[in-house]
Amino acid sequence: MSNALNEKPNAESLPVSASAGILLDGRYIPPPQDKDGKIWVRTTALVQADAEELYTVWRNVEAAPLWQEELTQVTATGPTTSRWVMESRGKTIEWDSEILADEPGKRIAWRSIGGDSENAGEVIFENAPGGRGTMVTVLQEFRMGKMTSAWETLVGRSPKQAIIENLRHFKALLETGEIPRTQGQPHEDRGMIGKMKGSAYGENIKTRREAIALQVELDPCLRKIRPHLLPRS
Amino acid sequence: MKAVCWMGTGKVETLTVADPALLNPHDAIIKITRTAICGSDLHLYDGFIPTMESGDILGHEFMGIVEEVGPEVTNLQRGDRVVVPFTIACGNCLFCKKKIWSACDNTNPNAHLMEAAYGYSGSGLFGYSHMMGGYAGGQAQYARVPFANVGPLKIESDLPDEKVLFLSDIFPTGYMAAENAQIEPGDTVAVWGCGPVGQFAIASAFMLGAARVIAIDRLEERVELARSLGAITVNYSDEDVSVLTALKDLTGGVGPDSCIDAVGLEAHSAQLQGVYDKVKTALMMETDRPSVLRQAIQAVRKGGTLSIPGVYGGLLDKVPFGAAFGKGITMKMGQTNMHNYMKPLLERIESGQIDPSYIISHRITLDEAPEMYKIWRDKKEKVTKIVIDPWMEKRAA
Repeated sequence: MSNALNEKPNAESLPVSASAGILLDGRYIPPPQDKDGKIWVRTTALVQADAEELYTVWRNVEAAPLWQEELTQVTATGPTTSRWVMESRGKTIEWDSEILADEPGKRIAWRSIGGDSENAGEVIFENAPGGRGTMVTVLQEFRMGKMTSAWETLVGRSPKQAIIENLRHFKALLETGEIPRTQGQPHEDRGMIGKMKGSAYGENIKTRREAIALQVELDPCLRKIRPHLLPRS
Repeated sequence: MKAVCWMGTGKVETLTVADPALLNPHDAIIKITRTAICGSDLHLYDGFIPTMESGDILGHEFMGIVEEVGPEVTNLQRGDRVVVPFTIACGNCLFCKKKIWSACDNTNPNAHLMEAAYGYSGSGLFGYSHMMGGYAGGQAQYARVPFANVGPLKIESDLPDEKVLFLSDIFPTGYMAAENAQIEPGDTVAVWGCGPVGQFAIASAFMLGAARVIAIDRLEERVELARSLGAITVNYSDEDVSVLTALKDLTGGVGPDSCIDAVGLEAHSAQLQGVYDKVKTALMMETDRPSVLRQAIQAVRKGGTLSIPGVYGGLLDKVPFGAAFGKGITMKMGQTNMHNYMKPLLERIESGQIDPSYIISHRITLDEAPEMYKIWRDKKEKVTKIVIDPWMEKRAA
């Protein structure tokens, strides 16, 4: 530790390492770059909720379709394993996943173990400085060629953007009890170009609305966590 | 229902579209009793704001009767009369907690579009492009109001709609502009633009202690309204009037303590720079026409404050930043933090301090809206403020 500055009334001590490799000995570490058939995305959000609460919702994998785009069902198949089903533009994608590290209130790491998607990821929950909520950092990796990724971006949501949006949905759901949406609101016919742009904006991507039936089943679990935010149905 | 739809640059149509429905637990459906066209809607009409799509319902200044509420809306019931703020706020994120409501983290479903353009996304707005949320607007017979548990202001007195409608945007916007101007008792405040926001900025500047307000515009009907509030007016379309000289003359060479730019990105200029900006925006080398901003930076006194309620959308050219630095001025700006002002301003209306309906020049039907956009854009018929009764079939005589 340097003694160059001794007057730091509100400074907090730094963690030695933090947030899926964002910080190491006080140095910022940039996110990993795409290469060798791997695509990386690192994203972070400041959420006004306790790390414990956030961890509990994230760890409840069967509730993931409430906030992750295009997921239709997640079924726990064991204490650390689960089966994931996704519908994307009429195509069904399925894979199995296992949890590799599980530190309640702090961190979860996972990887796929067979199926249509090869991916691995980690989420870390840390207290933000000054008691301003919890910093949630996700580091996700896909094994996917750049061409495939470019195609996905062109026809729908890029896989990287989907991770960013999913964290945004997670934050909105935990802070407000809903995910903002405009799907289903009135408008005059948009014409061809408008429809295409709707897809580029991501407004046509299915989110929570379609998961309402599922939500009813999952409610008891989530209700325990944030009773004031969930529908009373 | 009937709704005013944006169908392309310079093209607005009143069409029949589906009624809105509750989509989220904190939604409410409002039967709209009065709605208005805002000066900032002209920026959409003229194609200055990107990510408008053909078919979008316009309008962000509206009020009405609660028709239906989602299961999580506990503060409103069917039949309540409400004014709806044009910015949508969740009430729970870091920014809402800091009362910077217009920076809400959770109300823009298309936040990634705004992040790409601005670095971070602000709150969702009604009827103001997909970048700002893509929410259907309120120039219609009904609207869906998300986060109705946080935004709408209940009107419990029997004040007529026209007196409280402008709490939805322009009165709070003019008020926050005056607050941002950091006015001290005895100050002289210059306001560019005597449209509705300018009018309320002038009124609010007086309410916050300004000794003198100098109002600048080119349309006689507007400077007349400003004079009715007690402002000194400078009409720059009059022969031999230079705004900068006028402001020096009127302040003993010191300059106004605070300047308010209530014009924004489509400023008109009688000078050569007006032509310069028209050419540059036409060639897409610049997105906004900042002639008022340039003038206000030049005019404000040393150490003074520049407050900017006028909307800017993109990249500005030839902004005299050296002058801003050289004089050590403060600039404050941004979308209005509506939720801070609606209630206190309603109290000012209720106590008779101000009747905001004085700015209304036109009362029309939804079917007349497309024609009125054109008339207002072309500054014909002395338009100051257009109010729509969405249920009126024919304009009252």
